[in-house]
Amino acid sequence: MSAPVKSDPRLDRAAVSDDALLDAHEQLLGRQPDDQAHYRLLPLNLLFIFSGLIFFGGTYLNRYSAHFDPRAYNEEVAPGQAGAAAAAAPADPVAVGKKLFNNAACNTCHQSTGLGTPGAIPPLAGSEWAQGSEERVIRIVLYGLQGPITVKGAQFNSAMPAFGKVAGGGFNWSDDKIAAVLTYVRQEWGNSAPPIAKEKVAEIHAKEGDHKPWAPAELEKLP
Amino acid sequence: MTTAPTHVSPAPAARAASAEVTAIDTTARGPLLFLLGSGIVWLVVSGVLALITSIQLHSPHFLEDCSCLTFGRAQALAQTAFVYGWLGNAGAAIALWLLGRLGGAPLRALNWVLVGALFWNAGVTAGLVGIGVGDMTSFSLLQLPRYVQPLLLFAWAAMAIAGVLAWSGRHRDHTFASQWYAVGALFLFPWLLSAAQVVLIWAPVRGTLQAVAANWFAQSLWSLWLAPIALAAAYYLVPKVSGRVLPSYRLFAALGFWTLIVIGPWTAGRHLIGGPVPAWIATIAVAASVALLFHYLVLVLNLRVAVGAGGTAGKFVTFGLGAYVLGGVLDALTSFRGVAVETQFTVIDPALEQLALYGAISMLFFGAIYFMVPRLTGRAWTSSGLTLGHRFLVKIGLVILLVSLGVGGWTQGVDLLNAKTGFADILGHLNLCLLAASAAQLVLLAGNLLLAVNFFQSICVWSAAPAPAENYLEAAAVEARVS
Amino acid sequence: MRNGPLFLLGLFAALTLSWAGIVLGSNAQLGSLAPYYDDAEGQSFPLRAPGIANRGQLVYADLGCAACHTQQVRRPDFGSDQARGWGDRQSVARDYIFQSRPQLGASRFGPDLTNLAGRKPSAPDADDLMNLLYAGSERHPAYKFLFTERAIAGEPASIALKLTGNAAPDAGREVIPTERAQSLVAYLLSLNNGYDYPEARPIVNPEAEKKPAPAAAPATEKKENAPAATPAPAAQKAEGKK
Repeated sequence: MSAPVKSDPRLDRAAVSDDALLDAHEQLLGRQPDDQAHYRLLPLNLLFIFSGLIFFGGTYLNRYSAHFDPRAYNEEVAPGQAGAAAAAAPADPVAVGKKLFNNAACNTCHQSTGLGTPGAIPPLAGSEWAQGSEERVIRIVLYGLQGPITVKGAQFNSAMPAFGKVAGGGFNWSDDKIAAVLTYVRQEWGNSAPPIAKEKVAEIHAKEGDHKPWAPAELEKLP
Repeated sequence: MTTAPTHVSPAPAARAASAEVTAIDTTARGPLLFLLGSGIVWLVVSGVLALITSIQLHSPHFLEDCSCLTFGRAQALAQTAFVYGWLGNAGAAIALWLLGRLGGAPLRALNWVLVGALFWNAGVTAGLVGIGVGDMTSFSLLQLPRYVQPLLLFAWAAMAIAGVLAWSGRHRDHTFASQWYAVGALFLFPWLLSAAQVVLIWAPVRGTLQAVAANWFAQSLWSLWLAPIALAAAYYLVPKVSGRVLPSYRLFAALGFWTLIVIGPWTAGRHLIGGPVPAWIATIAVAASVALLFHYLVLVLNLRVAVGAGGTAGKFVTFGLGAYVLGGVLDALTSFRGVAVETQFTVIDPALEQLALYGAISMLFFGAIYFMVPRLTGRAWTSSGLTLGHRFLVKIGLVILLVSLGVGGWTQGVDLLNAKTGFADILGHLNLCLLAASAAQLVLLAGNLLLAVNFFQSICVWSAAPAPAENYLEAAAVEARVS
Repeated sequence: MRNGPLFLLGLFAALTLSWAGIVLGSNAQLGSLAPYYDDAEGQSFPLRAPGIANRGQLVYADLGCAACHTQQVRRPDFGSDQARGWGDRQSVARDYIFQSRPQLGASRFGPDLTNLAGRKPSAPDADDLMNLLYAGSERHPAYKFLFTERAIAGEPASIALKLTGNAAPDAGREVIPTERAQSLVAYLLSLNNGYDYPEARPIVNPEAEKKPAPAAAPATEKKENAPAATPAPAAQKAEGKK
């Protein structure tokens, strides 16, 4: 074929007819592989590249697929780690307790400041009861309290409802929640008593069953 | 002889002449020229809209009182006019013409093509009006209001009938790569659009799954519709203009085709890296983008003979193929998380989109149009100055656009990563690049106006005075002589 | 390629396969994602937005706000989203389950809006947003078509914009937001991702877990610093990868 002498931008000349074009490529497709001398070298290289790309893609997919976990937003996540890992790490009991204290009934009587109402509701901040014996505070919150009580030198006589899952209780909090709110109370407003474990709450709950609200005098007999 | 022929053996002159100007072209003249003409009008319209959005980026108060041209709406209008108006119309014409020619028989069901073309353009017009008054969806490349989407579906299906008939009624048993790509695009688009409509419009999936589905649609629109039509044109024009047999065609053309069709849509999730969708969606996309590089390699091997091709069509095709391959490599590169963290949410994304839609698809379409129109009208283009001017302006404009958006996107990415840089500073650093991008849009618009003038002049001359016999035959004779 | 129907079937299969894998696959995983019930809070998250905010989201969508603003915060070691104060945690799929048209966005010419109403230390209020929409700023267009200016009849309307300077209307006139502007602002003020889902927390690496487990001594220290400490190893690891 001779190259066009001068190309006219107004008209692109066809170098071949459609039939010739189709014939030429049709013959190629119909040809036996042995007919081609170039066959051996070129395709092997290409197939090697093709397999290389597929291999890379497969490896990448395997490494960064996060095991197709719908909760995995980070491709580095190990199996079962997404969401589950975070959920397994327990929520901070102080934070949970704070929400419980402020969203439930506690703050209506004891106030968000933990100071209570002088003459009616005992304070929690700085209270020797709140920071005192685990055995006593757990029982108070689980089953409620009824009877005269002395806190920080002042006399109070009011009733506290039961918060645990006990007969007559209106709140039905789980032992976890009881432990969380107690931990919060024992560490807020300058209080500094050790946290309450939910296992301890469960133990007392199992021991006492459906006890009636405790009287302070009864509690003082406990360790 | 055992080596493969590198050149197509010249056909007998008489046969070539009869093959070049036949009833295949003359019967399809009306519908195809209508499609091309409306495509070019939409190209100019979208150019004006793209210029407006580009100006709004550096001067946010430009046209701010016009509620139908907020930046978001103007961008959707420009994109819709470009993709559905220009690429849709021109793509339909190119795919049908190729299938007719390669099928060896005049196109059938041309009435359906004309009806489909009319409804397609009515749909695009209604869609643009709908976006302007606030009915757009928020899915990229599918902003068309929900009420025009079924219209486009049926309009395309009506046009595709002619293509599928030409393919199944072809005179030869064997098929050529162009036919695979063209039939693939004609056949898949209705399925693609309806699959996306079901999960996005009629029974929308929940929450961020909409983003997943929208990305799948946008990627498939490229991999299964636009790219195949453009490649159909490339596979036809390269041997046609150069007169050479495509190297490595026998073993790899089909593999390259199926790689694109099968793997292409899986690269959808690369725009969702780091987003609120499971990590595997982006990971699959990265792996698929890398595997898709093989498709680009096959194209380089098959179509490398395009380099140095003469003529307007040949030069456009060479440029378009270069942009296509470059875009594929850059897509794979920017899909990796280490790079994406720099480029995500910056103007690199629109730059890559322009490289794909303008640099690759439109340039290949331009090449096809310059080759087709003289054969449809039977006369050469009226003006060589306008042809050369168009080619020069769009190439210059596109290069300026891509360079400015690329540089701007990179500085934007670096700035975004630095939490201490406020948005006023980020946009301040971008200003110069955005100004350059506006200038580039202006150049592109000017270039496309030249194309429009040239096209409609050529049409008018032809319709005002039917081509004299000698002129008509001259074109045919030239083709015969050359081969 | 001689076999026509087989060829078309192959095309169709390729399309269906990717659609099934990506769209249906993710839908099977997340399509019925339920709200997260927090025992301590006693309610489920995400909260449902009020109706006016849902209408506002449609205004946001049809004006094309997503062309400049994203609504997705990425994890701490990926981009500077959290360092910019756009949120304290990454966005997860659960955040969006009640949104009819999530506006994730793909481009940032302006700040991310995921947590606009929950920003610390100070989130914009309704007046700030109304004034920005009406008067614009150097880098934000003014959408005056969302407002009407009218003569004050009797008392000034309570919803009239409190404008000062150049943007203020003439004496005796007031600027009233249209219903679209009001719902848009209500939507923007409903954007808050303050609730922390388990899957949104940064992953804990095995090395970090070997340290004294925070679970062992839950309340001996206030855990405020724990979430801040976990991203660091992840960030180093990610950098090493790049």
